Amino acid sequence: MAEITLALENVDKIYQRRGKAPVRAVKALNMAIEAGEIVALLGSSGCGKTSTLRMIAGFEEVSAGKITLAGRRIEQLAPAKRNVAMAFEGYSLYPPLTVRNNIAFALKSSAMPSAQIHSAVQDVAALLEIEPILDRYPSSISGGQQQRASLARALVRSADLYLLDEPMGQLEPQLRAVLRGRLKNLLLERRMTSIFVTHDQTEANALADRIAVMEDGVLQQFAGPRELKDRPANLFVATFVGEPPMNVFDADAINADRVRFMVADGPALDFAASDIPTGVRSAIGSRSRVVVGVRPHSVRLGAGAQDARVISNQWLGDQTHIALEVAGKLLVAVSHAPVAAKSGERLRYSIAPDALHVFDASSGAALSHGLEAA
Amino acid sequence: MAQMAIERVSKRFKTNTVLDDVSLSAETGEIVVVFGPSGSGKTVLLRLIAGVEDLDAGSISLQGKDVTNAAPEARGLGMAFQNFALFPHMSAFDNIASALTAGASSKSQILSKVEAVARLLKIGHVLQHAPRELSNGQKQRTALARALVSDPRILLLDDPLRNVDAKLRYEMRMELPSLLKTSGSTVLYVTQDYKEAMALGDRIAVLLDGKFAQVATPAQVYREPASLDVARLFGDPTVNVIPTTPTLENGLPVFDIGGASIALPSSYAHVAGRACVVGVRPESIAVSEAFASGAFPVEVVAVTPLNEKSVLLLRAGDGRELLASEAGEGELTRRRGPACASFDRDAMLVFDAASGLRIAPQSH
Amino acid sequence: MEHSSPLEKVLRGLAIALIMIFFLFPIFWIFLMSFQTNEDILRIPPSLFFSPTLSNYQALITGKLETVSGTLDIAFMRNLWNSVLLSTVSVGLALILGVPAAYAFARYKFPLSEDIAFTLLSFRFAPPLLVLLPLSLYYQQIGLTDTYVGLIWVYQLIALPLILWIVRGYFEDISPDIESAYRISGHSWWRTFTRIAVPLAGPGIAAAGLLAFIFCWNNFVFALILASADKQPVTVGSLAFVTAAGIQYGQIAAAIVLSITPTLAIALWAQRYLVEGLSLGAVKG
Repeated sequence: MAEITLALENVDKIYQRRGKAPVRAVKALNMAIEAGEIVALLGSSGCGKTSTLRMIAGFEEVSAGKITLAGRRIEQLAPAKRNVAMAFEGYSLYPPLTVRNNIAFALKSSAMPSAQIHSAVQDVAALLEIEPILDRYPSSISGGQQQRASLARALVRSADLYLLDEPMGQLEPQLRAVLRGRLKNLLLERRMTSIFVTHDQTEANALADRIAVMEDGVLQQFAGPRELKDRPANLFVATFVGEPPMNVFDADAINADRVRFMVADGPALDFAASDIPTGVRSAIGSRSRVVVGVRPHSVRLGAGAQDARVISNQWLGDQTHIALEVAGKLLVAVSHAPVAAKSGERLRYSIAPDALHVFDASSGAALSHGLEAA
Repeated sequence: MAQMAIERVSKRFKTNTVLDDVSLSAETGEIVVVFGPSGSGKTVLLRLIAGVEDLDAGSISLQGKDVTNAAPEARGLGMAFQNFALFPHMSAFDNIASALTAGASSKSQILSKVEAVARLLKIGHVLQHAPRELSNGQKQRTALARALVSDPRILLLDDPLRNVDAKLRYEMRMELPSLLKTSGSTVLYVTQDYKEAMALGDRIAVLLDGKFAQVATPAQVYREPASLDVARLFGDPTVNVIPTTPTLENGLPVFDIGGASIALPSSYAHVAGRACVVGVRPESIAVSEAFASGAFPVEVVAVTPLNEKSVLLLRAGDGRELLASEAGEGELTRRRGPACASFDRDAMLVFDAASGLRIAPQSH
Repeated sequence: MEHSSPLEKVLRGLAIALIMIFFLFPIFWIFLMSFQTNEDILRIPPSLFFSPTLSNYQALITGKLETVSGTLDIAFMRNLWNSVLLSTVSVGLALILGVPAAYAFARYKFPLSEDIAFTLLSFRFAPPLLVLLPLSLYYQQIGLTDTYVGLIWVYQLIALPLILWIVRGYFEDISPDIESAYRISGHSWWRTFTRIAVPLAGPGIAAAGLLAFIFCWNNFVFALILASADKQPVTVGSLAFVTAAGIQYGQIAAAIVLSITPTLAIALWAQRYLVEGLSLGAVKG
């Protein structure tokens, strides 16, 4: 069993507000992070991810529960005593210090010899491509550069845990792919246990070993990118993770000698009972209403039992996004080859059983993913 | 007759020349995307066409008439702003209707037109709300509705999807083309997102350093970029850039990567001996464990999934970093470590090292 | 990290109470005095209990004051009317001139605009006494002494800078895109100004107007020098209570109460309007 570095047990965060009802930002959070793991806290604004990060860092009090880091209970400790390095969303560079001195700041108070500090700073600056600005002041560099400097300051330290709050949001798009690769490599090579917060699921997928999807203070699912994509625990995770988002439709279900999903105002997906494994069929049970979902990349275009009108055909250089009009909404399909279909024409498409996700209509919980029950 | 034409327009702010002698035209019903990085002057261009900013040189004509000195209200345009610019003290209905109240429409005509465009944009149920009660997505649609309701011949859209969250942005990107085509207006659409540009534009005008580096169809801009700067702006991850001076080997132009010799198509024979930059898009690099002819050794440093693709950070023998992307579930089988990479020969781009301009292949 | 202990709360309450008593007590006492006769007022030790009388207010309103040396004419009601007239018209004029000027300063960056704006503000820095002597000489020459027109003109020195600076800030806070959007929708510059800019700057205009009203109302020196008897506002008019028969404290108190009531009432009424405000939710945020 891998060594657990950080454990959160039943952690709650309640914000008291004068004159209004208290807000439960984090509800009974349980999470265990292994040594050297890269974890993303992913969710829309207000979901509790930043509150969680700040509780781990020590900038917010824990309303209930325990936090353990490297074997020590830390939820009562001051931030400086936790041996945690943090890169803040607002950069928080010290204005009177040069970028170099900002990055070296924490190292200088440790016992490291100055030659070693110098080379450590140089290395991390080269990684994040901020060597040219090392001797400038925070007020004279761009937002993207400030963000990288703030990141460098956290990464250069030697800590038990690295906390990064929206580390790459301001970066120029051209730099993102390369820096992501380098950052990931650094974290993996040095086995730096790290948690970063983001609302961008593309970033979470790119960097993290596991992603904790949060909504409304509740942890929805904590799994690797593959698992989240192929086996989302509920409708929220299914539609939040993935770009383009999963296509979902309400449907009436018939689970008898044929398995049919009749999409409201839309096509009927009809399968022979033998095509659907018994595990899936029993998971769906006797429900008459379900929500069916299919990922854009799994929609087969050009042939099939269904056809629909093309609303848009968008070629993006390395892939094509097609929007079809289905059930009054858009069904989006992504193809890595160009598709010859003009807007307004009709195009055939099909959804195979192994691409279909089924969810419970009232709770949103996943019932089946493709050929496996959830 | 072009619906919209700007001729030799320049605009300066103090010492900074934002637009330098630019010209562009758009035909009836065409969607022209003005694309460029932030600060490149795209919004300024739109404001000049709208008349809310004065130009320093040049002329603007709309529907054949010179409007360079005309007031904004006389130009007959519709415009949607990046930060919505809704009137906070009016309901959504009145916001949209403001585009009609200056004209001669009767109250009942205004009512039916506003309701029709609200239905189209799915905001019919929030028309009586004040802007502060609307979500960002609803505000954006209200701003769009205001631009569309007067059925303007020319529509200016200033990065309308910028301040909207990712899911809604994607949805609107899919719906906008048919919406705009149905309206029949000539559209000038400004964006920084290359995917939006390629998805929406009949033509893309790439604005760099105050000039149009290229004005062409999406396919041309992607496959035949006019310069390295243009090539860099399209594609995620960005195109790989390899500065090199090719030599001739057995009549074929070749260049070196980490000790291996990579051949360019014979149509590039004329670049031998010239200082060049070779551009290879990530999707044109194939990575495999096994050696293939024409491949060269690399180390796979990191594998990052990117929306159904995998992006591989490669390090070649000479320390050069390259990004490769492949479709699908490669990340399951991909491991960090030694591998081989090869380039799709026909997809390579060659640029002149000094000017950055693309060198076209020559057929013999 | 934000817990205040019960002790902190008690101390805070105590501090606020002390400050409020310090500032409000004089006003409370004046209010009491206005219902007392002079004998009650001058009694030692002072007492909170007395039989109230309306004779002070009566004297002010009827304009006749009974004193030991005879009946004096009090022109207080006339003074009150002058205050109302001067303050209202001055502020009105200042708004008509100042609001468009504030808009110009906010929207158009013409050469020297900052310098001109600062010069106009500097009128508030200079003590009125600085300009009074030359001003009174000019006024005598052009025949504006002791005229409403003259006073209203001088009061612009008080009201205009305030309005310019406060309202300019509110205009600057309005995103220019909102006005551009209205113009592109087909409306002229004037309609944009009246239908969009002015309503959105409304709270600021109200605040500036109110402040200017209060300052004009409270002005003493200009009216003292440049006006006489029948044009004087209440500030100057209270001097009349220092009579040969002694200082008529009761009437002064009543006069003060009547003098501050209008400004106090307006401040209370406008406060609600100001606090209500318009949130600019129409711009992304």
